[in-house]
Amino acid sequence: MKKINLLYLLGFLFFFAACEIDDQVDPNAPSINSVLSDASLTELNLLVSGTEAGIRNGFGTYVTSAGSIAREFYKFDADPRNTEDLLGKNGTQLDNNTFYLTAPYNTRYRAVKNCNILLEALDNTNSVSEGEKDAYRGFANTVKGLMLFQVLNMLNDNGIRTDVADALNLGPFVSKGAAFDEIVNILDDGFNQVQGSTFNLPLTTGFDGYNTADDFGRFNQAITAKVLTFAGDYQGALDRLSKSFFDLNGDITAGPQHVFSTASGDIFNPLFKTPGQSGDQLVVHNSVIEDAEAGDARLAKFRERADPTSLDGLNGTHETALYASSTSPISIIRNEELILLYAECSIQTGATQQGIDAINTIRNAHGLADYSGGTDTDSLIDELLHQRRYSLWGEGNRMYDLRRYGRLNDQFVPIDRDGDIIHTQFPIPLTEG
Amino acid sequence: MKHLITRLGVLLGLLFFANVALAQFTVTGTITDANQEPLIGVSILVKGTTVGTVTDFNGNYTLDVPGESATIEFSYTGFGGQSIEVSSSNNKIDVVMKEDIAKLDEVVVTGLASSIKRSNLANAVSTISSSQLTGVTTQQTVDGALYGKLTGVNIVSSNGAPGGGIAIRLRGISSLSGNNQPLIIVDGVYITNAEIPSGSRFASGANSGTEEGSSNRLADLNPADIENIEVLKGASAAAIYGTRANAGVIIITTKKGKSGDTKVSLEQDLGFNTIQKFVGRRTFANAQEVAETFPNEPDAPNQWQEAVNSGKLFNYEEEIYGETGLISDTRLKVSGGNAKTQFYVSGAYRTEDGIIKNTGFDRLSTRLNLKHKISDNLSISSYTNYVNSTASRSFTGNENEGGLSYGYTLAFTRDYVDLFPNEDGIYPDNPNYTGNPLFVRDRAKNEETNNRFIQGVNANWTIFQKDDQVLRFNLGGGLDLLNNETFVYVPEEHQGTRGNDNGFVAVGKNKIFNYNYQAFLNHDYYSQNGISFSTSAGVSFLSFDRDFVLNRATQLNPLQTNLQQAGAQQISQRIEQEEEFGIILQEQVNWDDKIIATVGVRFDKSSLNGDPNKYYVFPRASLAANIANFDFWSVDAISQFKLRVAYGETGNSADFGSLFTSLSAVNINGTPGFLINSQQGNTGLVPETSSELEFGADLSLFENQLGVEISYYIRSVEDLLYDRSLPTSSGFTNEIRNDLALENTGLELGLNINPVSTSELNWVTGVNFWFNRSEITLLGTPDGDNDANDVPSFVPPGVAFGLGLGTFFIDEGSPITALWGRDDQGNPTITGDTEPDFQLGWWNEFNIGKNFSFNFLVHWKEGGDVLNLSRLLTNIGNTTPNDLLDKTGFIEDASYFRLREIGAYYTIPLSTPFIENIKLGVSGRNLFTLTDYSSYDPETSTKGGTGLSNSIEVTPFPSSRQAYFHLSLNF
Repeated sequence: MKKINLLYLLGFLFFFAACEIDDQVDPNAPSINSVLSDASLTELNLLVSGTEAGIRNGFGTYVTSAGSIAREFYKFDADPRNTEDLLGKNGTQLDNNTFYLTAPYNTRYRAVKNCNILLEALDNTNSVSEGEKDAYRGFANTVKGLMLFQVLNMLNDNGIRTDVADALNLGPFVSKGAAFDEIVNILDDGFNQVQGSTFNLPLTTGFDGYNTADDFGRFNQAITAKVLTFAGDYQGALDRLSKSFFDLNGDITAGPQHVFSTASGDIFNPLFKTPGQSGDQLVVHNSVIEDAEAGDARLAKFRERADPTSLDGLNGTHETALYASSTSPISIIRNEELILLYAECSIQTGATQQGIDAINTIRNAHGLADYSGGTDTDSLIDELLHQRRYSLWGEGNRMYDLRRYGRLNDQFVPIDRDGDIIHTQFPIPLTEG
Repeated sequence: MKHLITRLGVLLGLLFFANVALAQFTVTGTITDANQEPLIGVSILVKGTTVGTVTDFNGNYTLDVPGESATIEFSYTGFGGQSIEVSSSNNKIDVVMKEDIAKLDEVVVTGLASSIKRSNLANAVSTISSSQLTGVTTQQTVDGALYGKLTGVNIVSSNGAPGGGIAIRLRGISSLSGNNQPLIIVDGVYITNAEIPSGSRFASGANSGTEEGSSNRLADLNPADIENIEVLKGASAAAIYGTRANAGVIIITTKKGKSGDTKVSLEQDLGFNTIQKFVGRRTFANAQEVAETFPNEPDAPNQWQEAVNSGKLFNYEEEIYGETGLISDTRLKVSGGNAKTQFYVSGAYRTEDGIIKNTGFDRLSTRLNLKHKISDNLSISSYTNYVNSTASRSFTGNENEGGLSYGYTLAFTRDYVDLFPNEDGIYPDNPNYTGNPLFVRDRAKNEETNNRFIQGVNANWTIFQKDDQVLRFNLGGGLDLLNNETFVYVPEEHQGTRGNDNGFVAVGKNKIFNYNYQAFLNHDYYSQNGISFSTSAGVSFLSFDRDFVLNRATQLNPLQTNLQQAGAQQISQRIEQEEEFGIILQEQVNWDDKIIATVGVRFDKSSLNGDPNKYYVFPRASLAANIANFDFWSVDAISQFKLRVAYGETGNSADFGSLFTSLSAVNINGTPGFLINSQQGNTGLVPETSSELEFGADLSLFENQLGVEISYYIRSVEDLLYDRSLPTSSGFTNEIRNDLALENTGLELGLNINPVSTSELNWVTGVNFWFNRSEITLLGTPDGDNDANDVPSFVPPGVAFGLGLGTFFIDEGSPITALWGRDDQGNPTITGDTEPDFQLGWWNEFNIGKNFSFNFLVHWKEGGDVLNLSRLLTNIGNTTPNDLLDKTGFIEDASYFRLREIGAYYTIPLSTPFIENIKLGVSGRNLFTLTDYSSYDPETSTKGGTGLSNSIEVTPFPSSRQAYFHLSLNF
């Protein structure tokens, strides 16, 4: 009897055991594999737009972290680490696993990954011509170079990884010098690829004027010139400036931009702060107001607050007025900076008069008379850094400018609270192991 | 075809056997309780057979017993069982049943379709009866009602708002990924206990949906409908539930009708919520002190002085949290039936206001439970529950610059600023932070509505029954359909939104649809030599579908809340589909209630695993020895002495989506784009498996007036799924991995005593004592191997706020519950541990005379730290109350001693034809707490109920205490 019952049970089980579960596909998003082979034109274009969108992510923190350390401004918001860690309160060191490092770091490399996916997709598709592929490749390598340059600015002597195409087998951290070389190589690859390519990329209005093969190449060379200047190769930088959109007599605001909109899925300008708002504000460091020359039109970047604000023992009378609205664009690089790079490289290579002329171009553009100080290199560099401080305020440069000239220390940077220290670079993120 | 013939043969054979006449005699009698009240429905069974009956409305029974003599067993839930020898000459048996403190005869549902007497159980399965659940005081939610009543459970409240926000952990942490919550089965339906975020984080700046303090959907269940709750705490008991049971299983059975007179009861509770504790605010003795506190603000002392002079020094904590919230809970229950059909109908409406103005929870619940016997061997049951619940939860917890969360805002808001609206109703801006909390309270909204339908069905068919064996077929299943709608509104005038978002509306439309079915065959066979066999085989299928759509709008037109009346809209959608299928086999051998052995196995496959059609095996085995049932046992005082050991394995698959590496949809200036998702998928995932070995002993002494239950368990989780941060230079921030192992060990002790049992006073008391310890036993490869590919210790993503402030940290050899910070050299170091040293619950029931009862429950948690980041914020904002200014560090001991529940009831017996009795009572919940913890409630979690989240506080919704008046009329 027992045996027959078991037969019952087994028959019954076989009936139900036929239940088969389908292989799983993500119902919410396309798989990475869908673009890695036989990508369509639409998919390639989506990767380009995704990259252009992605480089904006984390850029706000890139600027506010460096800007706080350089005492351009304080970030007064609900997160205490903006006024504690970044300003080295009571000797606090920078944490290797906190947003002020990880947000810009992760997003820079995420954009690099997107570029690498685009490059791999191009190698495995026939949906576009070779000439078109070169335009995509030129774009991808230019963006990669820019992203890696920003990471290197943060990590500096710690070095960075430049070979990150294989997520499971990442390249080593290379030294600062090697990283500069590799970044220039990547940018040069991009420049060579984009030259003569069939350039038909779906770039946004932020790249109006820079969306042909030649114009995008000029943008590439502008970035390369900045990288070489930061690397100390002033002659190389001058060479690249000549191939960029640098124009000593041109509109100083010309240059490509990050754009923002209210479209679904888009983001706002992270550096716009509501006028008069407390609690989430970029408060201008008082020294920036105090050190400005009278009549400098760039003081319009700072708005005097009705009430001075203070937090965590810090205070300020002015707040940022750099951007007019939450959809105002952010400059990626513009002619004003190229003129300043030209001035710097000229001074450094002994072409003093060209340097002074370029400085005067900037001074005059902002309502200031010609430079009248000393013409020795040290004096000129002082003046150059002063001009960079005001021309590029709140754009993520001051910390690295000071460091390049050995001035990122309490001799040159004001200490607001006893015990505060000045950081010179960011640590390698914890997750890098 | 051959099968069919065999089956027919079997059936015919059975018919033949059933007609063979055998010698038999009849036993009759009456069964009563100690008060001589007849007991209805007492089960009477001829030992070793399936021959049995139950008592009728007058407690009488008649039983035909085969043979010349036999032992018959009397059992009744809540009373001690008895065995009596009968013969054809000794056939008039009246029995007086005694209350059973150890609940030895309680039937425990251990398998998917099988049950076992508690006295034969090899696991510590906790059962909470309806009187324990709701008998002392009215409960807000089912999970909240379990505090202190079970061993081995740790309950954390992430939100003190009415309507829940509670996480249950059984026997420690079993998973790091999302599903760390027990499986919940209501009348055979696998219900969802999801926490559905409302999207308020997009306005408040909170880091993730888990920080929104959402309610968990167990809140929809009306606690008053519950007959009992069984808790399978570990893998040894829950193995038969396979790949969903890693965090344990909670089996909820709702009330059923009993045949007999129709019973009607109308119950009304009225009560109120008040805050348990005000933390306090910073006060200043004089302007000098203000100047010292705010050295950079020369105007501050004057502002303070002016506020003092004009009587405008406020206490914003009391202003916001100081409301008294009214509670009303109305319940109507009708139950009854005849021999063929029984029903239970209930309707309940609970409305509850919170301690913050404009917060509250309403729940309308209806239920119809039906059972119908189609024939003697076929019955069908149906359980239907409809719930409409709404909650208004406002804004609390962590945020970033939103100016919405009250606690966060208050941490920066000084009591000398005037935030009250002027005569035109205009709220001033808060000069200290990005939001005016009075404006947020009066004008902003964070609401949810749930419409939920839970339906379970169950059919039992006795295929054949003979004297020594019975074969039953059970088919069960059900569905849980939840439509959840969320609504968040931040008016465009709100300070934190002006100039950027210019107002915010989020409308969520979320659907969860679960269904499951199971089919089982159970065969019981009683052999001649006193050994019985119980064989079960079956299959189980689950399907869970979730579709979450969130529409967000900013740039609102003035005063408009329609999504279209906005300049910018965003839509996001997340679809999740899960399917699981399991095959279950189980054999139980019982030698005369002396030795009971069980072996079982479950084969499970799941769409969440890398290979969706690969079966994973989850075995179990257990052995219980009832020493006192052996013939050599001669200690009369000890009626039960059971030694038991059980082993079992359960699993848990990865969260939905872990298999995929996908491209996210992004947008720039209206142009769509693909951006690589930051999570790298893993297509090789296997379920994490928990294996547990449990030892225990149960004792029952002095005619079951003293029960002792002690258990020790070792619970290891292998292949633990975890989100590991990748080197982010890869472009990915995290991946799901499988190479982590964890061990929990713990001791659980339960003591139940009936010290006084007279007709004037019956006192029943019990103590539950338990603790758990955890250790991470493996991360990557063993640390001693010095393998270059070993996984270094790491901070799991999203569980806390980094090592700088304190976080959980995965480190081989350390407890998983530890809180870590940095030492002087900046190296990670343990700074606290959220695991309690031990917990103890002590409950008491006094029945004085026939009509008065008094009950209370106290709960003592010793040890367990909380990271109090609320105080970090008030320190920064200089609003920390003066008496806490000297405190250093933010890790605090969160021990407490709490009067959980207390209640007193008086029944006025009327026994009129119209009304049977009236019951009046008063009760309270959390009326009294002793703790050194400096903030609102030592039970807290700012990250909701998922994963490791626990014991990190960031400005929560403060917990409340409740007091109630009760009136019930029984007809």
